[in-house]
Amino acid sequence: MNLIDIYITEVGKYLPQKSRTDIQEEIHSALQDMLEDRSQQTGRPVDEDLTVEVLMEYGSPEKVAASYLPERYLVGPRLFPAFLKTAQIVLPIIGILALIGLGFSLGKANLSFQNGFEAVLQAIAELFQSTIVALGAMVLIFAILERVLPNLKEKSLTWDPRTLAKISPPDRVKLTEPIAAIVFNFAAIVIFNFYPQVIGASFVAGKGWTFNQLLSETFFSYLPVLNLLWVANIVLNSFLLRRGQWQTWTRWFSLGLHALEVGVAAAMLRGPSLVALTVQDLTEAGPFSPEAARLLVEMAQLAVTLALITAIVAGIVEIAQIALQLMRSKKPAILVQTK
Amino acid sequence: MVNSELYENVILELRRGVIVLAVLRQLDQEQYGYSLLKLLSDRGLPIDQGTLYPLLRRLEAQGLLVSNWRLEEARPRRYYMISSEGRQLLPRLKQEWDNIVAVMEKLMK
Repeated sequence: MNLIDIYITEVGKYLPQKSRTDIQEEIHSALQDMLEDRSQQTGRPVDEDLTVEVLMEYGSPEKVAASYLPERYLVGPRLFPAFLKTAQIVLPIIGILALIGLGFSLGKANLSFQNGFEAVLQAIAELFQSTIVALGAMVLIFAILERVLPNLKEKSLTWDPRTLAKISPPDRVKLTEPIAAIVFNFAAIVIFNFYPQVIGASFVAGKGWTFNQLLSETFFSYLPVLNLLWVANIVLNSFLLRRGQWQTWTRWFSLGLHALEVGVAAAMLRGPSLVALTVQDLTEAGPFSPEAARLLVEMAQLAVTLALITAIVAGIVEIAQIALQLMRSKKPAILVQTK
Repeated sequence: MVNSELYENVILELRRGVIVLAVLRQLDQEQYGYSLLKLLSDRGLPIDQGTLYPLLRRLEAQGLLVSNWRLEEARPRRYYMISSEGRQLLPRLKQEWDNIVAVMEKLMK
């Protein structure tokens, strides 16, 4: 195989199968013409040196192949700002959760230096893993959105500036909000259904590490309802992304979802404990003193209770805001003042 | 002082739009890729191979060119020629180019 054939084969590796042979044949033909022309101009024979010279001028296989391909990306310029914003929210949360987990691991009595060092290493490894998983999930979601959302070029052809005036500011959907909602709801579905083991804390117990799950079976008995709510939220926000504006029925749908969320959170608050950690587990899992174990369990229960209360209050506020928007939308709005 | 890379990039940007018109006009007579490259270069518009060959394929995909492979001097060559659709478009492009030249001449005075 001569140098040109090797070069052509290399270019082909970066080309789509559909057009590969055709492009390779054309490049081969062009290179032969170039070699012949260069040989005639300089009086040099077509040897390896001249071939190397011509191939260097033609460009590296990657560069040549790239010139035949359209620009391709997973997350394009339209969604990239929203991607960055979501990453700026998600990544600090992962960092904070890792720090809380590390605090739990280090917060026990009689912790040796070696065990402490191991706990820090474990926390760093988990942080690294969680970050990679979260970024991967975000890229996947945004790549899907990139392909599902209406084509920007097609949209710009039919776009009319007057539509801006028709959509009053409260009805306009900000791009980042539904995207963030889709990402978080998708993350919730993945974590609670497929990786429930990440919600908990690891402790050094005796010779090895033991994992203690934070959430109880009671919490997981709510999972079917929660899954329904998360999927409904994804559907609603995907629709809002496509339409770009709130409508009466989407507001009613959102209001219903928030009401259900508040109801589920209230039932969770009134029902049996959602925390699986017990004083007995913690004292057996590691060298926790009973006081330290009790404190940890109380903190975990308080954190879950606070999270539920926050969810209920936030839900009620959302319901009130949506109800207000629904009442306002019934009144005729003056959009453009005329003489 | 403007660096040479920036200068090259600006020149490339300026030429990019012109190349399509130049290629369509030259392909009134059929040419294979390298002969077109030489022709354009001889007439004062040197183009990089990495720009010309993908452009020819794109124009063909858009229906403005037609091509066929031919065995010549024991070597297959792909000949390109302007299509009937390309012929219809060319006068309009030429008119637009004349307008641009006229406007630019006024602007650059």
